[in-house]
Amino acid sequence: MWTALRAALTRALWFAATLVGAAFLVQLLLWAAPGDPIDLLPNGAELRPALEAEWGLDQPLPMRLGIYLVHALHGDLGTSLAVHPGVAVRSLLGPALARSAKTLVLALLLSLALSLVLALLTRGRRPVLRALVQLLTVAPVFLLAYLLVLGLNEATWSLVQAGTIARPSWFALPDQASSLRDGLAILVLAVGSGSLGETHAALELELVAVLRSPFATAARARGQPLLGLTLHNLLPPLLAVAGRRVPFLLGGLVIVEKVLLMNGAGALLWQACLKRDYPVAMGLCIAAALAVAGSRLVVDLARLGLDPRLRQVRA
Amino acid sequence: MSRLGARLGQAVLLAVLLCWLLSLVSGYDVIADVTPARAGLHPSAQALLGTDHMGRSVAWRLVTASRAFVGPGLLAMAVALALGLPAGALAGYLGGPVAGVVRYLWAVVSAVPRFVLVLLACSIYGSEPHVLAVAAGLSFAPGLGEALTTRIEALRSREFVLATRAHGVSAARTLAWHLLWLACRALILRQLLYLLAFYLVLETSLSYVGGFGIEEPQPSWGNMLAFEFGIHGGNPAAWAAPALAIWLTVAAAIGVASTLRERGHA
Repeated sequence: MWTALRAALTRALWFAATLVGAAFLVQLLLWAAPGDPIDLLPNGAELRPALEAEWGLDQPLPMRLGIYLVHALHGDLGTSLAVHPGVAVRSLLGPALARSAKTLVLALLLSLALSLVLALLTRGRRPVLRALVQLLTVAPVFLLAYLLVLGLNEATWSLVQAGTIARPSWFALPDQASSLRDGLAILVLAVGSGSLGETHAALELELVAVLRSPFATAARARGQPLLGLTLHNLLPPLLAVAGRRVPFLLGGLVIVEKVLLMNGAGALLWQACLKRDYPVAMGLCIAAALAVAGSRLVVDLARLGLDPRLRQVRA
Repeated sequence: MSRLGARLGQAVLLAVLLCWLLSLVSGYDVIADVTPARAGLHPSAQALLGTDHMGRSVAWRLVTASRAFVGPGLLAMAVALALGLPAGALAGYLGGPVAGVVRYLWAVVSAVPRFVLVLLACSIYGSEPHVLAVAAGLSFAPGLGEALTTRIEALRSREFVLATRAHGVSAARTLAWHLLWLACRALILRQLLYLLAFYLVLETSLSYVGGFGIEEPQPSWGNMLAFEFGIHGGNPAAWAAPALAIWLTVAAAIGVASTLRERGHA
């Protein structure tokens, strides 16, 4: 009991320390720029007096970073300078993050489900199928989105021209908001940039190890069904793979939202970076770090719960 | 991956390298090549891959676009090596608090997704290729460093390392020669190939969306794709060629890296 509690506490402390470090890192990137960061802003001269007070420019750098962190912990990430001038960053981030979180979670679940099915199909055999999955899924997400949009638009336009179908409400992608566009984003994220290939390869390795393990052999000898046993033993590695994919999916989300003209946190980050709206960009970077470090913590704690051997290992 | 697949991957990477060298000496002028009268020509003997909708040679732009990622990709590799290699190797060899501090730093940098970190760096420092390369190298250093730390930790108490100590070989030589060069060079190469694939995806993605990355008229495989989007009745090779080039190059880099791992070199 104590060992498990200590292991969980160590991981929680590691999560908090990582998050604080990530907040410092993104702040440091801005403050390490040559000159004054306010000079980088398009309307810097106009905003200078207010920003000097808000950002604590008269304070030494460590103090400035500390002030930002304390404000961030109280949910105060500053106000937007260019994307929606004067609006609190927190109120901008909330709806955008909620939209993106849905896409992200569905993409992760789809990727894991497809990988599991493929791993059950291949499980150490069928090298051609494995190679095909690897080859098809290394395509960057923007390229997959481009090809899918191009293919769907061209095929639909041909059918509309031939009078076979009426013009669909989603036509032409990606201009119209539709569930098809959302579905495409989820599919592209789940499959592209090696997402499916890497998850499949990792799960297949684990599956083969489980199927060759002594307990699987014993279960086979007793005539027990293997599916439940296999899935139970695959759960910890499945969670580990899911945790590892989160940063890649977050990066892909930025591009997918821009390519498919979606209105989420990724598109907001792009806009904030383009317009040099640093409070918004910093807030989104910290939210991304929170998602990555949080997913690592959740995965670690869940694996601790599922696999008693991990509780003995020093965190 | 099969032997044939690995050979094909190596051939694709070699072809990309040759394209880059050709682009450096060709003297192809991206501005002077605009000839609207030749717009949308299909592939022929006169124009190998045809022309885009501004009449520019697709083949020459494809070759010239390799400049957008090969040179900066090599710079990104140098940055990742400079940051990740010494820290990762020392953490693995010394262990203890040094490893703890280095692992914490890796965890901090890798907590911010690579793409997000690069985008933020581009916003602050500008989106010139060298900024993109340094940011990509910095964001990739934890991956390289962590892989090295794990490998060297596993090797540091093996017989050959103990034997070097017994023979009075210095720790620096053991680390640099016996561990890093002899035991980890394939692992380092694998990580660098992943970085090349990542840099290509990064550069083409940014150039495709626009605002960051390579801007027209300078060619990038990403902006070549974006330039032909929604053009009806044009030359299909104008978008298919850069799409295929991106796909094949990423697949080749990842495929060759995977081969190194599968054969137990890395």
